[in-house]
Amino acid sequence: MNHDDIVSGLVQELRRGTLILLALNCLQKPMYGYNLVKELQNHSIPIEANTLYPLMRRLESQGLLKSEWETSESKPRKYYKITEDGLIVLKKTTEQWKAFSNNVDKLLSEEENKNDK
Amino acid sequence: MTNDLIERYIYAATKRLPGKIRADVSNELRTIIDDMLTERCGNTTPSEKDIKVILTELGTPQELYEQYNPDSDKCLIGSPYYSTYKYVLKIVLICAASGITLAAVISSLISGFGNTDFLTVNSFIIFFRDLFVRTFETVPSALVWAFAFVTILFAIFYHKNIKIDNTGNLDNLPSVPVKKEKISKAEPIVGIAISIAFMSVFLICPQIFSFGITKTNTWIPIFNIDTIHSTWYIIVLFGILGIIRESVQLIEGRRNKKVMVTTIVTNVLSAVMTVIWLARDNILNRDFIDFVTSYFPDKGEAIPPVLSNFQLLFMGVILLALAIDTIDTVVKTYKAKNNNSC
Repeated sequence: MNHDDIVSGLVQELRRGTLILLALNCLQKPMYGYNLVKELQNHSIPIEANTLYPLMRRLESQGLLKSEWETSESKPRKYYKITEDGLIVLKKTTEQWKAFSNNVDKLLSEEENKNDK
Repeated sequence: MTNDLIERYIYAATKRLPGKIRADVSNELRTIIDDMLTERCGNTTPSEKDIKVILTELGTPQELYEQYNPDSDKCLIGSPYYSTYKYVLKIVLICAASGITLAAVISSLISGFGNTDFLTVNSFIIFFRDLFVRTFETVPSALVWAFAFVTILFAIFYHKNIKIDNTGNLDNLPSVPVKKEKISKAEPIVGIAISIAFMSVFLICPQIFSFGITKTNTWIPIFNIDTIHSTWYIIVLFGILGIIRESVQLIEGRRNKKVMVTTIVTNVLSAVMTVIWLARDNILNRDFIDFVTSYFPDKGEAIPPVLSNFQLLFMGVILLALAIDTIDTVVKTYKAKNNNSC
């Protein structure tokens, strides 16, 4: 059995699940696509560029983000920012995430402790 | 920065996207690529190799297209309809193939053996030749039609979100059928195949029901072909009623009230169709009646009433068969019910 392939698949699934939450959180201040990639990378969250940009567009069509082309700079850029609805979703999802990850951590550390004994 | 490779890449990624987002996605990609190149090369002009590295990092144009395409998660028939679709498709294809093959066998039997003195080598050759030609002519197209029909039906179910799962309410889950109550799958499948064969034979070649006169080597069709052709809708309705009756049995898989009511309703409607169809006096071929009567020298009185009223006899046989089927279903349903409640 190739463990590495299974692990990398699982990690990718976990990342994908949290990506929306992270993107919404970062976009509380306006950012353009590459800006957001860098921001996430700075927090040691690697992200595939071809996943993030289409995701932002999908969130925009769901009404969680709004976008605007900024043409006053040297090159035109599309800036994304969270909407009122997006903020509500972000708040509720963050609460859920904290409770969930807390429970997961507890369960995992319990099992670890048992194994150590 | 405009570069031929970048433009080709963007074009390949966006050409199949919906028109209203294509230009916007192209501009966005151009900016992203530019940002990535600036990050990699700073103020120096990026080389072709740099561009290739960046574009490879971004993914293939097809991958980008899949991500940007708003319909990428949609499919023709998805979950939870797909498994039901596969099940129904399998049954429909079996029914269509066996029904059409049965129709080919009937018509080939008649063309092979109907006009010869008896079983000769020649009649076998004609039979197998006709069977081969008819099967290969009709079965593939019947399968394609059946496939298309079921696929379109389920695609509509999927896209319109039409509910076909009725197992959501636990109180409505049917009890496990006891042996006497069960209807085997084979029974309705054969029934559907026969309905398809009936429709095919009557619609495509009603002339195969013919009498061969060996002396003159001519054929006299039993039915009036023009009338059969002009009343095609009655034949289709008759066939569809049969398919509905058998399909409900197949879906339910047990003798229950639903199967009984469907059988009664479809049989009554089929009886009405039969009466409407055979009430015309020109369903049977005039030449055929003349041919039969010519065998009786004293025309009129000597012809057995059965033959002079052949059409009524025909109607009677169909009505009797429908009545027997209805009574049989009712009796079997009540027997199963009593058995179940014991």
